[in-house]
Amino acid sequence: MSFVDNVMAGLALVANIESFLALFIGVAVGTVAGAIPGMSATMAVALTLPFTFAMAPITGILLLLGVYKGGIFGGSIPAILIRTPGTPASSATILDGYPLAEKGQAGKALGMALWASCTADLISNLSLILFAGWLASFALSFGPPEFFTLILFSLTIIAGVSGDSLLRGALSALLGLMLATIGLDLIYGTNRFTFGSPTLMGGLNFIAVLIGLFALPEIIAMVWNPKAHEGKTRTLGKNWVTFADYKASFRTIVRGSFIGVFLGSIPGIGAAPAAFLSYSEARRKSPNKANFGKGELEGVAAAEAGNNGVAGATLIPLLALGVPGDVITAIILGAFMIHGLQPGPIMFVMNADIIYGLFIGLIVSSVFLFIIGTVAIKGFKYVADIPRGVLFPAVMVLCIYGVFAVNNNLFDVGVMFVMGGVGYLMMRYKVPSAPFLIAFILGPLLEDNFRQAMLMSNSSPAILFRGPITWFFWLLTAITVFAIARAGFKTIRNARAADAEAEEIQ
Amino acid sequence: MEDRRIHLQLGISAIILSLLFLVVLIPNWVSSPSNVSKMILSPLMWPNVIAGATGLIGAALLLGALRMPRLATEIPPDTDDPTRAYLRLFVLALILIVTMPLMPRLGLVWTTMGVSALLALLVRTSHPKTAFICAICVPLVLYAFFAHVAGVAIPQGNFVRLP
Repeated sequence: MSFVDNVMAGLALVANIESFLALFIGVAVGTVAGAIPGMSATMAVALTLPFTFAMAPITGILLLLGVYKGGIFGGSIPAILIRTPGTPASSATILDGYPLAEKGQAGKALGMALWASCTADLISNLSLILFAGWLASFALSFGPPEFFTLILFSLTIIAGVSGDSLLRGALSALLGLMLATIGLDLIYGTNRFTFGSPTLMGGLNFIAVLIGLFALPEIIAMVWNPKAHEGKTRTLGKNWVTFADYKASFRTIVRGSFIGVFLGSIPGIGAAPAAFLSYSEARRKSPNKANFGKGELEGVAAAEAGNNGVAGATLIPLLALGVPGDVITAIILGAFMIHGLQPGPIMFVMNADIIYGLFIGLIVSSVFLFIIGTVAIKGFKYVADIPRGVLFPAVMVLCIYGVFAVNNNLFDVGVMFVMGGVGYLMMRYKVPSAPFLIAFILGPLLEDNFRQAMLMSNSSPAILFRGPITWFFWLLTAITVFAIARAGFKTIRNARAADAEAEEIQ
Repeated sequence: MEDRRIHLQLGISAIILSLLFLVVLIPNWVSSPSNVSKMILSPLMWPNVIAGATGLIGAALLLGALRMPRLATEIPPDTDDPTRAYLRLFVLALILIVTMPLMPRLGLVWTTMGVSALLALLVRTSHPKTAFICAICVPLVLYAFFAHVAGVAIPQGNFVRLP
């Protein structure tokens, strides 16, 4: 089918009130959830997932994508107004957003955040449409050895960049890999860690693990300290962003968007590094360098463009290769699977209408984001006022229903409770949970492709180096491990030097 | 908690976990067909590799912790009263444990109403009336959605059944 045929097929699939309503509701829910301190885009996507079971695949996935897009923007609202980022990606927005709010220009900062977010979102979506198809056609020639090396590379980078400690990230990924081995063996069908229970033969339920890891720890953290996340909300002020402000920051926004697209398309890097890189580039190139950090509108634009530029780009590896770009796309990957779809190059051949339907939906989501974002900025006061002591008990109920609804199985609720405890311990011990979840999803794929490759080659490891694609991914893996190790040693060296200096002063 | 202590505790836990897998769990709870001639294709291979790697990471964490300098000052706890905080966590654990056997007996709706109300009490919500109303309404709304829209068979329990 030609490009135009695919677009028409996609349009036929999404051009109905149900799909657009789902997308609109998704963006609204995501924006509100992202704006509530203590909630996050990840948690919002995870909690919305069970509601998609009764929907058509395209409608359900559009709902989740809407929540994702809304959640990323929504996180900037509390970052600017109460100096608490709603999502980690909004941390860079605080740097100039909050000083602007202190000056009584919160409305202006939020307006710029919205405009930059929508522009970056659009650029990111267009990049997705341009590159995903190309990458998928390239990936059609991948066999098990190529997929094994690609997934190994993804795991390396995810373990490495998801926290301030490589070892803690790696430990998290290993725990996720180990948990993924529970159930029947993929090739021989023998039991692995089922402990004689038929319930465990299918492995642990993905939704139970996901909600347990990402929603319950927040509830437990609130029980530990009910007074956390209390901040003073700033008023919006009378200044609003003008077209001249937008025009002045346009180059920064476009640059930040492309930084976001580039970093987002590499599995595992995520939005926060993109936001900080975009911010530092903007500061480096700006004539108002000295004003950055003190309330520079361009700084807000750069940070928001960087983190929203990632949103569409993380879908490139997901749709083209079936490898999630970050934790939210890992959840969306789970949603595809629940609806009987397997993202990857084959999907571009078998379900091109769904792929192009999603592309159309994503473009429309930028418009919805602009409309809903404008309202959300003004209505944030009410959102921020939702008492956590009322919100989180309701979230707990939602978690229980959502997890039960996947398989009509109360055992899954128990798994969620246990995973909640594990997730909370990981939070206390600063072990990032994103590598855990991504490894849990990628683990079976990694093992399956490895063993298939071994079966193909009669157990000869040479097949893992059979062509330029496998060599390319091995090289990338080696470079990543080297870079991460080097950064780790550098951090340790700097810390030691600082300690020695401090001792000398004493 | 300071980084040194975190790495130390994580390192020891990872080594114990690794040994537990290698010595107890994998030999007893992972079965492999007798006709698998090559170890690399065996269902045992992958868990063994992961457990071994976990042990190595644990050792690296432990070594890293031993080389880290001790902090002269204690990091203040992240809550006003740690004893009360631990007590709240203990009560939460009890609520969750009791929830499991109650769900099939009382039904999901009534159990979750109780969980929601108890959780609100546990954190001493400043809006008890709203929390109480939410504790009743949210499970009912979710029941209506999942049972009547999504077609999920929500457990009703042995006492009061909903339409």
